[in-house]
Amino acid sequence: MILGTFARHVLLSTLVMVGFAAAPALAGGPDDEALSLGSAPVQSPQTGSELRLFVEGAIGIGELHDNAGNQFLRRVSIDFRYLAPLAPGWRAVFSDRLDAIKPPDLGADTVTNSLREAYLSWQAGGSTLVDVGRVNLRYGPGYGYNPTDFFRDNSLRTITSLDPLTWRENRLGTVVIHGQHLWKDGSVSLAFSPRLDDAPSQNGLNPDLGATNNRNRGLLVLSTRFSERLSGQLLAYEESGPQAGVGASGTVLVSDAITAFVEGMRGREPSVLSRTLGAAQPLMTRNRLAAGLTVTVAGSLSLTGEYEYNGFALAAADFAALGRSQPSLQTAYVQTALQRQDLASRHAWLVYVTQKDLGLKNLNLTALARFNAGDNSWLGWVELRHHWDQFDLALQLQQQGGDDATAYGKIPVWRSGRLVASYFF
Amino acid sequence: MKASLIIFVALALRQGLAVAGPAAQDVLAASDAIRNPGRSFSVTVTLTEFQAGKQVDTSTLTSYARAQEQGGQFASLIRFVLPARDAGKLMLKNGNDLWFYDPATKASVRLSPQQRLMGQASNGDVVTVNMAKDYRATLLDEEEVQDGERRKRKAYKLSLAATASDVTYPSIEIWIDAENNQPLKARFFAESGRLLKTAYYRRFQQQLGAERPTETVIIDGLNPQSVTLLRFSDYSARPVPETWLHRDYLPRFQPE
Repeated sequence: MILGTFARHVLLSTLVMVGFAAAPALAGGPDDEALSLGSAPVQSPQTGSELRLFVEGAIGIGELHDNAGNQFLRRVSIDFRYLAPLAPGWRAVFSDRLDAIKPPDLGADTVTNSLREAYLSWQAGGSTLVDVGRVNLRYGPGYGYNPTDFFRDNSLRTITSLDPLTWRENRLGTVVIHGQHLWKDGSVSLAFSPRLDDAPSQNGLNPDLGATNNRNRGLLVLSTRFSERLSGQLLAYEESGPQAGVGASGTVLVSDAITAFVEGMRGREPSVLSRTLGAAQPLMTRNRLAAGLTVTVAGSLSLTGEYEYNGFALAAADFAALGRSQPSLQTAYVQTALQRQDLASRHAWLVYVTQKDLGLKNLNLTALARFNAGDNSWLGWVELRHHWDQFDLALQLQQQGGDDATAYGKIPVWRSGRLVASYFF
Repeated sequence: MKASLIIFVALALRQGLAVAGPAAQDVLAASDAIRNPGRSFSVTVTLTEFQAGKQVDTSTLTSYARAQEQGGQFASLIRFVLPARDAGKLMLKNGNDLWFYDPATKASVRLSPQQRLMGQASNGDVVTVNMAKDYRATLLDEEEVQDGERRKRKAYKLSLAATASDVTYPSIEIWIDAENNQPLKARFFAESGRLLKTAYYRRFQQQLGAERPTETVIIDGLNPQSVTLLRFSDYSARPVPETWLHRDYLPRFQPE
């Protein structure tokens, strides 16, 4: 009996040991199924030229302020980017976008072409580079506001979406002679942007050099990587006349799931109101700042919060007073800030959210909310986008909050919905 | 009660006693050398994603990997080739210095390791990570395991514990062929002990001077119905300059 019990225990323990040893090693059902799957056909990438071409169509409806009726919104766009190697070390880049928008933006043509980039680039040994032509030189880690992006003003001919990433995609480059030298943990670059025209053009098909090259400008940038977790940039900017500025930015990996960024500038230039008024523009020395955090949480959700400050903007009380005394000037002031991709408010906040594979593979959510601390107006924008192999379909919803005397309340369409379809060739 | 005690003892024995055999760290290093060419190289990666056995997505990347002098890890610059929507986008990984660059927006964005895990590029880590440099290996067992081609292979089972705090996977279990050190299967765990991924290395072919796996099957730990196949082709030994691994170079990168 005792022997029988012992034998059963030996048998049981042997089975347990064999079982535990074997179970993880010998793949069961789910692994077997996975191992029977075969790869898609291999397509070796082309080297040499690079072409990105897509067409996009959008239809939607927008509700105007004060029950003034609805607008039928339509847009067709062709977006083209071509990169061609010309000889060892040499390449040419051409990037263009054509938008037909109905109804057009205030003062703009129905059809607007944006010649974003057209330049020649030369590299010597991968560490020294020279660009000549219209180049999109964009700086700053901020999501919604980039104080160190010194070439941003007047660079946007059309606004096709409220997503700041789209603004970056659609903007005009600046004609420059740009040189850069890179080393292991850093780089230095110098850009000179000459004056080529007087003022922005209202002609939709004009290359609009007057928007980006209406004065002589220079920018010196020093970038360095202090460690794997910390990198920064120092910038010095000067333009013809007494206007100048210095800037700095940094990004840091705070933890496995958090990155932080900050960028700021101190400059001597006219205030936003002075620019709106034109004529004699007294200069002032003020700061701009953007700082934020991006947190990634389980389920492919990324949340970014950003604080924005513009010392050149009107204080809340002055903005409100302007609205009471000169509403049309207040509207022009907001328009000036928008054209310069500057803040109309002294203080503002941005929340930016992305969620990949929202309940369905390749269904992505992007949402943003902007809060204007000066007048408590706000703007919300949500996009649900589904990717197929060469085709995207997106639903975009937007809404503003705030009356006519607020910055976001001045956008004529206060609520809208759009369906956007894109085809990639 | 007695049965429970015996189970406990059996488990304790299994977890506590290292199996006599070759030095685990040496086996792991030999296996690393099979997965990774010991020099800078480029390779085309074709990713095929499946849900419940149905193909739901494909993409193609080119990975340029540089063996770093310090730490012995690879730094990589990944260029998206297909689908057309993503063509030209770049992902830089130099330790924890992670950047994503989109040529359309001209924006270089610093990523956290968790953000990078959201994308398919992170699956490449399962393949190129140099485990012997960042993990302490313990030989748990010598056992028969089913490989990626569903054949039984005699393998060393190693338990790997991270020696660095900034690795993507704090612990790994890996099965390595006892005869030729080929990696066969690995299970990647989170800090909590949760299984994140299971990888099978298969289709061993002569590439850059050694028999290397040219396909990896990755099974999601949370959702085993989610499977990604990585096919490696066009292996090429090539210099990858250090300046390529700087975020300021990303707008300049041109495939050769």
